[in-house]
Amino acid sequence: MFRWLNGPGAAFRDPLPGSTNYLNAYDPQGNLIRARAAPKSTDRDDPKSTGEEGGLDRPDAGLGRSQLDQNIASGKPMPRETADDLMPFPMNRQFRSQPVLSEELRDEIYRRIDQEKKSVRTVSAELGVEMQRVGAVFRLKTIENQWAQEGKPLATPYARAVNAMLPKTPFISGSRTAPLPHESINDLPVHSATARQLFHPVAESLHFNRASAAKAFSRDLLPADKRIPHPELVELAKVAAQNRGRDDVVKARRNELEKQEAALLNMRREQKAAQEAAAKKIDTPRWQFRFEEIKAESAGKDGRSKGGVGARYGIPPQDRKKGQIKIPTKVE
Amino acid sequence: MRLKKAYALKRPKLRQSWNKYNLYNLSRAEPPNTFTRTFFQQKWSAKSTARAYHGETVKEKHWQRMFRRRLRSVVPMDHNQLARSDGFEQAEGRGSGLEPHPDNKPRPFPKTPYMNMTFAPLERRLDTAIFRAMFASSTRQARQFVVHGDVKVNGKEMIYPGYLLNPGDMFQVEPDRVMFATGALKDARERRAGRKARQKSEASAAKSQDVLPSDSESAPTTEDPLLTSTAEEASSDSNKETLQSLLSQAKNLLTTPSSASNLSGKRKQDLRAFQRLLKRTLSRGRNESIFPQKDTSLTDSLDAQLQELTQKLNLNPALPADEKIDPRDLGPETLTPENSSLLRKALTEARENPIDVTKPYATPWRPRPYMSAFAFIPRYLEVHHRICSAVYLRHPVARPGLGEVPTPFGNDVNGLSFNWYLRRR
Repeated sequence: MFRWLNGPGAAFRDPLPGSTNYLNAYDPQGNLIRARAAPKSTDRDDPKSTGEEGGLDRPDAGLGRSQLDQNIASGKPMPRETADDLMPFPMNRQFRSQPVLSEELRDEIYRRIDQEKKSVRTVSAELGVEMQRVGAVFRLKTIENQWAQEGKPLATPYARAVNAMLPKTPFISGSRTAPLPHESINDLPVHSATARQLFHPVAESLHFNRASAAKAFSRDLLPADKRIPHPELVELAKVAAQNRGRDDVVKARRNELEKQEAALLNMRREQKAAQEAAAKKIDTPRWQFRFEEIKAESAGKDGRSKGGVGARYGIPPQDRKKGQIKIPTKVE
Repeated sequence: MRLKKAYALKRPKLRQSWNKYNLYNLSRAEPPNTFTRTFFQQKWSAKSTARAYHGETVKEKHWQRMFRRRLRSVVPMDHNQLARSDGFEQAEGRGSGLEPHPDNKPRPFPKTPYMNMTFAPLERRLDTAIFRAMFASSTRQARQFVVHGDVKVNGKEMIYPGYLLNPGDMFQVEPDRVMFATGALKDARERRAGRKARQKSEASAAKSQDVLPSDSESAPTTEDPLLTSTAEEASSDSNKETLQSLLSQAKNLLTTPSSASNLSGKRKQDLRAFQRLLKRTLSRGRNESIFPQKDTSLTDSLDAQLQELTQKLNLNPALPADEKIDPRDLGPETLTPENSSLLRKALTEARENPIDVTKPYATPWRPRPYMSAFAFIPRYLEVHHRICSAVYLRHPVARPGLGEVPTPFGNDVNGLSFNWYLRRR
């Protein structure tokens, strides 16, 4: 083992500056594979050292770590990672280290929500970042600002080191082209009803489309256009196709959709606030007691329904049974 | 919870850990031999190797209850494609779309690695998520952090490592614990220095406790002349302290054999020059203080401090000559632009990443060895490292060509273990 750690494994001891450093990027001799093809110039510059350190008597071998460090110190560019270089587990070709948001992209997300007052949905569509992620970035950034205000120490050196080890999605502010999408934002979850193979004979003359396919699988299943996270993008694309060269129509429709969404969110917020206001609260030094209306009928006809509350005659409580998990299932 | 032979070399098991033995085992791991073995044997060994990695702290019965045969997956959709057609063309011909011309056949869609999602329910566990967010160097360490009360979920302390995160849950780990888990270890010298510092602080605490009763009565009422004079000098002192800490840091870098060997010759020269400069700056008497009192009280930002310093030492070449600089101050210490940028960088670093022997990790903080080979963040987490907080966005899913569950095993081992757990269901 120590032979490996001091030999090929020495490449993993310290992070590779400006790059990821995964097992699959190296050959068994500990040479960086992607450095093999790209810098032809290194061979011309310093053929002796390549032969001695990196080459291991094979002319096409990659570069060893000491050689790489020299190259980096002398300012030679490192070839970019291929998909294979981003595999931390050599046996699992289906797992890749996927890029994380760069610091600039995070700041941009926060800025667009905080200053430009854009909705999460809009920012997600603009920057190609999942909606949940946009929300999370805003939440985490808010906490960071709060900590900075309070003077709480941040783990800056750690964050810098970790960020240097990970692949990142860049963001160039002020560039004319559309920003590089971070991930696919319209992921259609595979519904369990569609997991089976279905033989569904239809008339040849029938216009059988996505909506009819969804109906065939299950009566309640919506077509893919409505189940994706950004159905409004489909509609906007349709409007754009119908009104070619008329950006104002598309813009008007976009504004209308945004207004609708804002109204929906507002209504939900109000509903929640009303619910909160309706609950009877009693503050004690230690706890806040909340009283909610309970109906005896919610236990169901046989008294075994899940909605039933409290001890019910004839229904044994399960909480002392073996294997019942008693740790909380949610934290609010 | 102790685990004997966690990183055995003879019959290696892979673990959720950044240990170098584990890295070695990972580097030489091979897919299992299925050639001479019965299906039962294949399944048995597959599930035992997979379970050594996935949730080895979870009891087998518990995992069997968590196991789900339904595996989550998604298909990325293109909204332009959806807008262009209603999917009619996919039912054309004999019901599965028209046969395309051989020249423009679409590229085959990569297969979704469903089997890699076998252990997805375990990724919901709090301890695993902490490890995946790179806040701990192993799942067992993450578990310890949770049990010791260093972890919060949605702002509330959570002491159950088996808490199953819900989509949208935010978890936070105490930054100091994270720095300890991911930072390099102290060497013997640093440990000794830390011990001494601790003894010193304990002794001074005991002393102050003895003095405290009489002191606390007099302190608020009397105007101590000594106290006020020190307050005036405090700002210039703090600057001096920064410089002194910088000096010791530079010295440390040059003397520690491990770091000295990593430095290039040019950098060493720079460091020595920088050290000399700092020494000269510090050796000037208090009377001709390098930090004018009234200005330092105003400036608190680092940049302003630096500007002040460079101005006073006449280091800034861009400065116009008619700026009022006392000719007395024009010493031999002239800082080149490189040196001034070095000083700026060093000052920032010293502020952010100070030498502090009382910390449980080596200071200034640096990543622990062999960390980069394990550094990845799965897509179902959004991690903000600076505040050591992360959000569990959604459950891990499989998508064409990619499984989001970080598992070192291929489709074969995962599929066999999936089959094993299907057995009684």
